[in-house]
Amino acid sequence: MKKILALAAAAATIATAMPATAADLVISSWGGTTQDAQKIAWAEKFTEKTGINVLQDGPTDYGKLKAMVEAGSVTWDVVDVEGDYAAQAGKNGLLEKLDFSVIDKTKLDPRFVTDYSVGSFYYSFVIGCNKDAVEACPKTWADLFDIEKFPGKRAFYKWSAPGVIEAALLADGVPADKLYPLDLDRAFKKLDTIKPEIIWWTGGAQSQQLLASAEAPFGSLWNGRMTALAQSGINVETSWEQNITAADSLVVPKGAKNKEAAMQFIALATSPQAQADLAKATGYAPINLDSPKVMDPELAKTLPDAQTASQVNADMSYWAENRDAIGERWYAWQAE
Amino acid sequence: MLSRTDARAEGSKIPAHRLRFTDFDLTLPALGLLVLFFVVPVAILLARSVSEPVPGLGNYAELLGSSTYLRIFANTFIVSGLVTLVSLLIGFPVAWALAIMPSRLASVVFAILLLSMWTNLLARTYAWMVLLQRTGVINKLLIGLGLIDKPLPLVNNLTGVTIGMTYIMLPFIILPLYGVIRKIDPAVLQAAALCGANRWQALVRVLLPLAIPGMAAGALMAFVMSLGYFVTPALLGGTANMMLAELIAQFVQSLVNWGMGGAAALVLLVVTLALYAVQLRFFGTDRMGGR
Repeated sequence: MKKILALAAAAATIATAMPATAADLVISSWGGTTQDAQKIAWAEKFTEKTGINVLQDGPTDYGKLKAMVEAGSVTWDVVDVEGDYAAQAGKNGLLEKLDFSVIDKTKLDPRFVTDYSVGSFYYSFVIGCNKDAVEACPKTWADLFDIEKFPGKRAFYKWSAPGVIEAALLADGVPADKLYPLDLDRAFKKLDTIKPEIIWWTGGAQSQQLLASAEAPFGSLWNGRMTALAQSGINVETSWEQNITAADSLVVPKGAKNKEAAMQFIALATSPQAQADLAKATGYAPINLDSPKVMDPELAKTLPDAQTASQVNADMSYWAENRDAIGERWYAWQAE
Repeated sequence: MLSRTDARAEGSKIPAHRLRFTDFDLTLPALGLLVLFFVVPVAILLARSVSEPVPGLGNYAELLGSSTYLRIFANTFIVSGLVTLVSLLIGFPVAWALAIMPSRLASVVFAILLLSMWTNLLARTYAWMVLLQRTGVINKLLIGLGLIDKPLPLVNNLTGVTIGMTYIMLPFIILPLYGVIRKIDPAVLQAAALCGANRWQALVRVLLPLAIPGMAAGALMAFVMSLGYFVTPALLGGTANMMLAELIAQFVQSLVNWGMGGAAALVLLVVTLALYAVQLRFFGTDRMGGR
């Protein structure tokens, strides 16, 4: 028995020490339940279909991506990035142009397609609330910014990305169609009013932990995380009022070793079935417009693409253009 | 650090004909690695900090001219100092107890110390989050005992950062202190008593001064490690408690501004080296247990 264990351990050591072979495709994403779902809905299907082994890596790190491209030693073939980053990195020469003779973009939601990227899935920032912890749940962004009506800590996404600034402006009464260009002065002034009551979350799991433990009984969360919380039996409520949508994108770093396989992978990942499977597993919306046809209609109703009544689209191209300037101000304000 | 003349002066037992192998040439592989993995990256960092996005000292001017960044610098030193102080206050009695307790009991305490060091840092930090939060074990216990009515804000602030970091730094303070205290001859305390010192005087005037090299070594280690700390302050602190390492990570990973990241990293490095130099000057390597 001991011998077998030792052998297994040795084999495992060798297996993990072995570098990816040239034929292996390396995918980088953000970890957690979303990457697990991507693995099952996309990577395993891709391996079945093509025989190409897919290795998972992550979390995605823009500094690392830039370093790989600059050093000419790119180990990631397909990377899941934020939409505004994709738009900016494409312009800055860090990405390969996508091959739309392989990837069928005719059915993809045009909001999430550029020369260098296609949507990965799309999500909404929604207002989540732990019903057991409070007497009343905030319904709108204005509610979430009202500490008199809704006392307590609120959870917000820590990083500079579409979401929080839009929420602050909407809470301050800016109409959804007048959000851009973002009035940063106004947004930060509004954020100042609740700053001591904010607990920042850095990743999806943390946002769930904050809400479930009632450390922050409400806040702005990714809708998929709310779906997962509800499924795990926690008494939560999601308000879709003015849900703010943004998307992740799939990109191929410049100089990726398996460019052709990467294009095939993206073609599969954005196909109606693969997008539907991912949506089912994560609660995020498919970016393929044909996906709802192959989905359970009951499930489709719970996704962001069914919540368009008061939906607010984060403007990815505006963010791409101003990403660095907003980021610097954002972090400086946080640290004040 | 042992130079040839020193070794001879101290009556080294190494035979003279082998002494040359302790010379410079044997350190070449190590030096090579140091150059490859330390000097070269630092040089690249320096180059980037003065060349991106435009050549010049603009990054340093921005870094040192912004009140926000200066506050992050100050905060880094305040938190590190606080953590070092608290670690010393808790670590000294523990090290002392370790030095005088029966060896079997001491080995149990050592096992606990080392086990905590070997547990994944992230897991330990998350554990503190669970313990310290509003609805966490500690607050529930205190409320249950009737000691407080409202949960104490123990996390996402300076308190949380200090508790979490002190917990991680403690072994680094206790181990060198233990080494030094153990070497103190118990006879000196008896001598102090014989000379009329009470327990308090024996502690303050005899034991503490003798333990200073251990305290200095431990404190420097804890302080320098704290300066570069990332995970714990990011998770247990609020954004107002941001430390330099997190700022650097933001520059590099999120803003992809390597010029500023490099400049911040170099300032941190220079300050750390300066502190080390000051400490060396006052305590010397040998007194810090460097041998």
